[in-house]
Amino acid sequence: MKEYKKGILLALVCFLVVVVLNFFLPRLLPGNPIAYLTGFSEEDMTPTQVEFYRHALHLDEPVLSQIGFYLRSLVDGTLGYSYKKEAPVSALIGGRLGSTLQITLPAVIFSTLIGLVWGLHSGYKKGSAVDRVSTAFQIVINTMPSFLLALILMILFCFRNRWFPYTGLSSSEVAPGFMPFLLDRLHHLVLPVLTLTIGAAPSRYLLMRNTVSQVCEEKYVLYARERGLSDRRIKYSYILKNIAQPFITMVGMSVSLCIGGSVVIENIFSVDGMGSLLTEAVYSLDYPLMQGILFMSTLIMTLSIIVSDLICVLIDPKVRAGGDGK
Amino acid sequence: MKKHRLPLILGLALLAVFLLAAAFPSLFTPYGTKEMFRPWLKPGGAHPLGTNSLGYDIFAELIGGTRQTLQIGLISSLLTMALGTVIGVAAAGSGIIGKLMNSMINVFVSLPRLATLIGLATFLGSSDTVLIMLIAIFSWAGTARNIRAKVIHLNLQPFVENCRIQGYSRGHIVVHHLIPNLYDVLISRFLLGVNSCIMMESTLSFLGFGDLYHPTWGTMISLAYKRGAFLRQAYAYLLSPGVCIMLLSLSFYLISLHFEKKQTEIRHS
Repeated sequence: MKEYKKGILLALVCFLVVVVLNFFLPRLLPGNPIAYLTGFSEEDMTPTQVEFYRHALHLDEPVLSQIGFYLRSLVDGTLGYSYKKEAPVSALIGGRLGSTLQITLPAVIFSTLIGLVWGLHSGYKKGSAVDRVSTAFQIVINTMPSFLLALILMILFCFRNRWFPYTGLSSSEVAPGFMPFLLDRLHHLVLPVLTLTIGAAPSRYLLMRNTVSQVCEEKYVLYARERGLSDRRIKYSYILKNIAQPFITMVGMSVSLCIGGSVVIENIFSVDGMGSLLTEAVYSLDYPLMQGILFMSTLIMTLSIIVSDLICVLIDPKVRAGGDGK
Repeated sequence: MKKHRLPLILGLALLAVFLLAAAFPSLFTPYGTKEMFRPWLKPGGAHPLGTNSLGYDIFAELIGGTRQTLQIGLISSLLTMALGTVIGVAAAGSGIIGKLMNSMINVFVSLPRLATLIGLATFLGSSDTVLIMLIAIFSWAGTARNIRAKVIHLNLQPFVENCRIQGYSRGHIVVHHLIPNLYDVLISRFLLGVNSCIMMESTLSFLGFGDLYHPTWGTMISLAYKRGAFLRQAYAYLLSPGVCIMLLSLSFYLISLHFEKKQTEIRHS
């Protein structure tokens, strides 16, 4: 129980660090904070514009009230205002978050499932031919950068064989109605999700394999084997229960891994998601938007860590039985 | 015994090729990186990988990128190690500084690295130095964690106790007795660290944070993608830098595998 509390506290501290960084970075770096906070360069602005922005950004007020305004923008969910795109940051992110989640959530699920089933099998049969071949295979995949994977899949399935579309999440000429739309969307999602899954699976696999191979040295596994239980039964009703907590923590971490990976994937497959919004913001030097996205991804990550830690507490039989898990 | 050495030999051979390419590019290609030919020549003949949109020989660019990539990877990994060792040793103390350092490690381990890096790189501008610094600042935490565990373990050993009884200062013990005993952690963290630094660098370069005049492999792919290598079917241009990144990571991984095996052998004997 105590270590979960620590984990949750840590996630919150991380969150705080990013929030503080977001606030102080544009104000402390050399150069005019107005330039950082609007994204316009100083030379292009007239004095009245500078005055306007100074007032609009509350830069003429003491630091404490600036922090107040900043925190208020986080709490009420507007996350600041993008002067380049002339819209609140939250609206911009809100329009894109859906696409990102459509790619990352399936990838999180598939990659952890592959990692679980395959890693459990290899770890259980550690040292066998199957284990050695599949571990070597996963290690090789692990050294491939995700953009290489994406490009290979794209060349194979979009250009050599025109099986899948290579851009966006919807075709322009799709028949009306829900079913055609859904099929079209799934057709577009295959490659991005596949890339992200293949990219994230090896590290999950290696983690699971090592955890399981350690657990397999425990006496209860030996005893279960002596009783003549099937391998499947031992793996899924004995070992799985005992590695449930590291597994759930791993799923929580996968979320941040996949959100990070989707920045690259969205760029290659031209998906209108948060990742491509981030690169747009970077290229147009739209600092408020960038900070908003950084805040948002930290928020998602913090939430996933907290949720996975809470699940760990809830399924812990020691806690359920009333003890405090000592 | 022979079989055990195979990964090491393979890894060292691969690494040697890359180091040679970084040190003596002229051994591999007769062209300079900025020599112009006809654009979009097909691979084969005088240009093994063809030429790009500006008419540069892609193979020459690839060889030129080796030095840039290795340089950024190695320097940032060395910095990572130095930072990780200092903070890791400090975090092993039981005082207030130790506790503070330890919680700092934990925070840095779980920051959303890529997003924070992109944010900071935009604010600080993108040059090789900034990139190296940023990568090091966001990679040391794992090393520090391992070093801390090892130092705490070493602190309980009789030889450290002996030093303390003889009245040596903490600084002396750390420099002359602890750090020499950390070499196994340092070697394996360094080898894997180079990998993650190269991976991070190429991802950032791919997203457009690299130095465009001295392209690394990541920058090359980014440029290939933007200049429409897909439409020209210049697949060699798109894929070869990625394959190089993969082979280089693999070589470091194979070498680290050897050291890990040695460690487990020592522990079990």
